[in-house]
Amino acid sequence: MRDVRVMSYGEAIREALDDALAKHPEMLLIGEGVPDPKTIFGTTQGLREKYGAERVLDMPLAENGMTGICIGAALAGMRPVLVHQRIDFALLSVDQLVNNAAKWHYMFDGQQQVPLVIRVIIGRGWGQGPQHSQSLQAMFAQVPGLKVVMPTTVGDAYHLMLEAIADNNPVLFIEHRWLHHVHGEVDKHRPAAELSGAALLRQGADITLAAFSHMSIEALKAATVLDKHGVSVEVVDMRHLNELDVDRVASSLAKTGGKLLIADCAPEMASIGHQLLSKLVLAHRNSLQQAPRLIAYPNHPVPTSHFVANDYYPGAEQIASAVLEILDKSELTESVIRDLQSDLPKDQPDRSFVGPF
Amino acid sequence: MTAMSQAPADLKHLYYQMLRIRRAEEAIARRYAEQQMRCPTHLCIGEEAIAIGVCAHLTTQDKVFSNHRGHGHYLAKGGDLPRLLAELYGFAEGCCGGRGGSMHLTDLAAGFIASTPIVGGTVPLAAGYAWAEQMKKSVTAQGGASAAGGRTPGATNVVVIFFGDGCFEEGVMHETMNFAVLKKLPLLFICENNQYSVMTPLAERQPKRDIYKIAAAHGLTAVSGDGNRVDDVYELAQAAVANARNGLGPQFLELHTHRWPEHCGPNEDDDLGYRNPGELAEWKLRCPLLQTRQVLLAERLSNDAELAHMETKLAEEIEQAFARALQGSRPTIERMGQHLYA
Ligand SMILES: Cc1ncc(C[n+]2csc(CCOP(=O)(O)OP(=O)(O)O)c2C)c(N)n1
Ligand SMILES: [Mg+2]
Repeated sequence: MRDVRVMSYGEAIREALDDALAKHPEMLLIGEGVPDPKTIFGTTQGLREKYGAERVLDMPLAENGMTGICIGAALAGMRPVLVHQRIDFALLSVDQLVNNAAKWHYMFDGQQQVPLVIRVIIGRGWGQGPQHSQSLQAMFAQVPGLKVVMPTTVGDAYHLMLEAIADNNPVLFIEHRWLHHVHGEVDKHRPAAELSGAALLRQGADITLAAFSHMSIEALKAATVLDKHGVSVEVVDMRHLNELDVDRVASSLAKTGGKLLIADCAPEMASIGHQLLSKLVLAHRNSLQQAPRLIAYPNHPVPTSHFVANDYYPGAEQIASAVLEILDKSELTESVIRDLQSDLPKDQPDRSFVGPF
Repeated sequence: MTAMSQAPADLKHLYYQMLRIRRAEEAIARRYAEQQMRCPTHLCIGEEAIAIGVCAHLTTQDKVFSNHRGHGHYLAKGGDLPRLLAELYGFAEGCCGGRGGSMHLTDLAAGFIASTPIVGGTVPLAAGYAWAEQMKKSVTAQGGASAAGGRTPGATNVVVIFFGDGCFEEGVMHETMNFAVLKKLPLLFICENNQYSVMTPLAERQPKRDIYKIAAAHGLTAVSGDGNRVDDVYELAQAAVANARNGLGPQFLELHTHRWPEHCGPNEDDDLGYRNPGELAEWKLRCPLLQTRQVLLAERLSNDAELAHMETKLAEEIEQAFARALQGSRPTIERMGQHLYA
């Protein structure tokens, strides 16, 4: 049976939270602003009215303590989903997440579990600046015991949220703010097998593009235009960060002649792309036939000034140029870039999206 | 105690300073719609009396730390207006070179060390700064003038941290108060209680009890007052600054006020319905400027002509500040790569 609907990523999150609240009576949805008029960019809209103020609630401005409180509630059988409007705010709860949540099941010999979801949003644009647009996913992904998912597609947003909530382990669920407005299909009866490992977003024959979160969208944009110029790109979305699916990347490389480009939304030194490469080489030593490349952000905090947003954030254009360089087809670069160019500044995902946010 | 902090409130001067913040914030709000100031901006309209009443007692040697809603604190401490505006526009001439925008301000010459937007982030920094000031003073007293930067023995600089009722819920707030009392730091905690954290009312976040009494339980000298009466704020701050300067330890003022615009952005948002009905209108009647103006006129400390002149003067200053700011240059990404390490 298929039950397919088109919706935005943000709506898919809302729908997943709604379905999970209905399914798990022990689920709580808590966070600064969860029931306020703006409802976490619309993702918690109507849920308090539907499930009551005891289960859908705001909280004191106390990220560290509240994380521990949610861990305690999880130990006692609740299933809290704690929301931070920026991943930067989750830094206040790192002690509880890393020292307690991630280790509890292990430390006590598997006798107790922490079914907790921490929802965080990576900010970008309209001058979010050094403390409101950090890309900290790799740091969290390096903590044993903590699951980290960063879904890209609308369908994955829905299903991986449901999966995270049903999981009996702490899961950090990372949303890139610029994905919230992307539209796509949600098939509620999608088989569970499609949710594990990396996701094949586009089939191609000439090169493998392994990308993360919002960069997968940029990769798809580049792939579509490159296709018109006779270049066939395979796009693999690396949605599970604590368990990078190198087998999937390797099998793609077997098809594309061992040519790999990684595109991440994080500063180069903080890119989990490095780990992907290292794991790939260790597990599949002959998978690469050509020097791979990594596209990431500069190694410094995100400056606020919108004047530098275009230079700070790489996108489809940089991806396409790199693909053509790797394939030794740089003569196509000019016309491909022309097709990709947009006059929209990179501090705005689309024209309807104006600050402050 | 400095001579300045003993003076009775010069209400006309305080009014002018508050009006300056109000008109600057209004001008920012008006021009924000042009979409050239592309950064999250938290205006302090309605809350001007607190920054002005407190900073009136500070010298440039005293230091201020602040939060996301920092324009008023910055201006009250003597921060440069054109450089604030240039920062909002993202120009290289901004007070942070365009790296920070509205939520990250600094003006070291004025003694405004920093504002940052992670709630609570600057609270312990203010305490650390005050601790160092205290240590430097004792170094001076022992004759080691170099570490104290040639400061006169006996004079203690004070440090002020401005924060909101929401911030009071962060653990770091309480860790900092504990240490500040332990070390008797020359530090003023100024809590701007506007009853909201973004759109969440106090009652959803804290039980019904007074914030300042918790500070008192930590051992701070703590009082509360009307944050919309600049004369009240001035008096409370006068005593608090004097205490902190004279080694009586950290001071805490909880000042009640209300933010008029939306939490972040240039508009009003009463239509969203998160405030109690009539709440905003009631607070507008208690406007710090309106109240002060009434006193100035009733007590014949000023007159309509003089007040009108103030408006003209400020309109000119603000117009010129925007003109200066708008002459700014675009920072380059190469420049933004600098200063990662000292
Ligand atoms: C650690 C952290 N959590 C959440 C936020 C989001 N946030 C920004 S301002 C704010 C409200 C702060 O309220 P309050 O301290 O009362 O200051 P006010 O805005 O009312 O002046 C919140 C929740 C943040 N910036 N930092
Ligand atoms: Mg507040």
